[in-house]
Amino acid sequence: MALAGQPNCGKTTVFNMLTGARQHVANYPGVTVEKKSGRFSAEGRPVELVDLPGTYSLTSYSLEERVARDFILYDKPRAIINVADASNLKRNLYLTLQLFEMGVPVVLNLNMMDVAERRGIGVDARGLQEYFGSPVVPTVGKKGSGAPQLKAAVAALADAGPARAFAVDYGPLEPFVAEIGDLVAADPQAAGAYPSRWLAIKLLEADAEAANLLARHHPEAAEVMERVQALRARFETEAGLSADRHIAFTRHRLCADIFRRFVTVPGEKRRTLSDKADSFVCHRFAGPVILVLILLGLYQISIVFGGWVALQVWPVWGSLESFTEGLLPAAGFLDDPLLRSLGMWTVKSVTAILNYLPIFFLLFALIAILEDSGYMPRMAFILDRLFRRFGLHGQSTLPLILGGVYVGGCAIPAVMATKAIPDERARLATILVAPMMNCLAKVPLYLILISAYFADHAGMAMFFIATVTLFMALPVAKALSLTVLRRRESAPFIMEMPPYHLPTAGGVLRRALERIWLFVKKIVTVVVAVAVIVFMLINFPNLGRERLEDYAARRDAAVDAFMAEVDKTSFKGRIAPEDVLALVLFEEDMKSAKRGVSDQARADAINARFAEANPVFYAVVSREGKDGKALNRALKGVINTRKELRRNMRAERFEASFLGVAGRALEPLTQWAGFNWRINIALLSAFAAKENSAATLGAIYGIDGEGGGSVEQGMLAGEEGFTPLHALALMLFMALYPPCIPASIMVRMQTNSSKWMLFSIGYQTLLGLAVATLVFTGGRLLGLSGVQAMWAFYGLCVAATVGMALIPEKTARELSGPQTRQPKEGIAS
Amino acid sequence: MKFVKHLLLLVAFCLVSSLAVAHSPLCDCFDNGDGTITCEGGFSDGSSASGVGMTVKDGAGAVLQEGKMDANSEFSFPKPEGDYSVTFDAGEGHQVVIKGENIVQ
Repeated sequence: MALAGQPNCGKTTVFNMLTGARQHVANYPGVTVEKKSGRFSAEGRPVELVDLPGTYSLTSYSLEERVARDFILYDKPRAIINVADASNLKRNLYLTLQLFEMGVPVVLNLNMMDVAERRGIGVDARGLQEYFGSPVVPTVGKKGSGAPQLKAAVAALADAGPARAFAVDYGPLEPFVAEIGDLVAADPQAAGAYPSRWLAIKLLEADAEAANLLARHHPEAAEVMERVQALRARFETEAGLSADRHIAFTRHRLCADIFRRFVTVPGEKRRTLSDKADSFVCHRFAGPVILVLILLGLYQISIVFGGWVALQVWPVWGSLESFTEGLLPAAGFLDDPLLRSLGMWTVKSVTAILNYLPIFFLLFALIAILEDSGYMPRMAFILDRLFRRFGLHGQSTLPLILGGVYVGGCAIPAVMATKAIPDERARLATILVAPMMNCLAKVPLYLILISAYFADHAGMAMFFIATVTLFMALPVAKALSLTVLRRRESAPFIMEMPPYHLPTAGGVLRRALERIWLFVKKIVTVVVAVAVIVFMLINFPNLGRERLEDYAARRDAAVDAFMAEVDKTSFKGRIAPEDVLALVLFEEDMKSAKRGVSDQARADAINARFAEANPVFYAVVSREGKDGKALNRALKGVINTRKELRRNMRAERFEASFLGVAGRALEPLTQWAGFNWRINIALLSAFAAKENSAATLGAIYGIDGEGGGSVEQGMLAGEEGFTPLHALALMLFMALYPPCIPASIMVRMQTNSSKWMLFSIGYQTLLGLAVATLVFTGGRLLGLSGVQAMWAFYGLCVAATVGMALIPEKTARELSGPQTRQPKEGIAS
Repeated sequence: MKFVKHLLLLVAFCLVSSLAVAHSPLCDCFDNGDGTITCEGGFSDGSSASGVGMTVKDGAGAVLQEGKMDANSEFSFPKPEGDYSVTFDAGEGHQVVIKGENIVQ
């Protein structure tokens, strides 16, 4: 037995009402759609109930719709309970008609009767039952009323079957349906596999999945398809509109007709406040202006204010870091124990992401407000006209905002959000371009490069990189949908325009928290796994023995120099050479204990604690007496030497590591884009998590500072001049760079295909390399400066965007019919 | 043309927006007890703050001293008399200001 219904019809409450707590959640085989099943007993017999995904229709446009349809088609439930929102019956009947068409016994469940009553809507359940020839049962799922009647109806229907099968009359199309129905049913083996009338209608609708089904089961599929095409063409010339639109219109008309006959609406329908608001919000000119203002507010609050909040919250994550630091084995002078270095690396990778939580929390909360208020579908409606031109969909708006249309987003929630896009082609296109937006983690690298190489044009350079990404993403999306995604299903823009609501604080908070939790759960686990792998790649193989001995010698020299100072003071004999490391760590601990403390009394208490723990060390660290002062200066020298040695060792080890070797191996290829092997390494580590790019470049190559370490200076001196043109190529590559590993895994989850994940990594890498090469090599050949190349490229991208927008896309055009501009209709097709 | 209008709107939206905050800047200052102050900088994602500009100002806002974070992401300066503040400036949206009275020994 299966439970079907449109979203927001109270399907879950009906499910719970019937099955109680006895339910089992799994995924439908091969897809990420959740499959919930439960048991209940009807008239003493056990019944298994499967909750189908909420869908508006039963086409094959979206994953949910396909899952629901396949279940009905292949698992052949004995009966279907169709949950419908009684207060919104006209829309809900659209699904009901299609369920009847599939030839399964249907119980129509009029749920939310209380809401309908409150609004003064009367539904004639008995009349509907006679009309459909199938049971119709009113319930109030929230209160659990009507459950026994529903169970009884289900049991009776499963035994006896419907009184008669209800069928939609397609008028002039009927002879065509009958002809194809006969063709399809001609083969006895195929006839049993699916309802022939349903398949005939689906074939006339040009449903791709139906064609596949036919090809699999029918021995003469090709001839049947040919006939279908011919009939479709004939109908279109005769009736003046395509068969699929005729079918959709007939269903809509019938819904409206049934609604008029069996539903009474209070008084004359007056223009609601929502309708009035829509005349502004969806207005041709005011609409986009309001949209821009709302997006601007979204950006200011989540990114600018959220960034400030993130800074205030940082001490929490910082203390998490120092807490773990305390649990792990103590640090060494040069090398730390593996457990410590790996542990700290992992914790830091996680806190780097947790730092963004306030931003995402605000973003998710604001989006929940937009959704609950009913603005989100209107925004999608307004932008659909623009996005269609690029093979995207109105509902691509949210993923692109989350990804960082301007600056500051994250590809992970962006890819997650594509789930809502019903159009398979646009959904994949959105998944593939969302990582090209400017995620938060790309920004540090932009900032470093801009302040180093475009300092005089910093504002314009930031504007350039922030907006050029959109002008690269849009043409790319169009190109993808014209090529690799050509054969994918495309859907018309169908979206319910619910009345405006005032969002409740509780609802918004709950949804924001749910999403944050989902985000944290998915990401933190992935980040931990990735951090461990990257750690191995950048730390092994270790330095050669000769180098390690050299470092050890320099360490010993520093310790010896310090001991020589000790012997000149009264500390002679109280500090041994093996105490030096402990003394250095003592100083470090004391400093981190006082980190963030701004009150002298508390600082004194901390000092006293350390003084008690080790009076000798404390005397040196806090400069007690003449000897303490003298030795403190020597200690500073040791500390600085240690930091320098550790930094240099890290850089040297990185270069010799697996990742470093890979960076060198790629140099012959990347030199045309202006990347030397050092930049290759930074980019490779950025693939693990974008944050790494700046950290790596900063720590190893000293691009972000004057550089102090001898190794860095040597490297910079040995490097041929890094020009603004190099920097520009690097920034553009970073913008187009493949999604980081956590985002790639999200792509894998949303597309349910490793091939798409690899494709998204591969095409973005190649595209990034191609663009960087074009800018760098092209700019050098033409003798352009960095700034000139920047604007030349910008012009190129804008031209490509306009050009791509003008290439017509047949399906998209054909399907966006005259109804698209009628949001109040409820459904625009 | 409608499409161009939409495009222009998108561009306008981008123009008005300001620069985003990405990783959070971090800076802590300590009184060394010898008449000098040492500040340590960094970023929440572990990036080095080496080369970041540092400014020390007196209570009236006059610049007393300017410098940059060294290779160890540290910056030391003589402790000024009276009120003062230290600014860690890693670009717009990446500034930290610490008041002298909050710097303890």
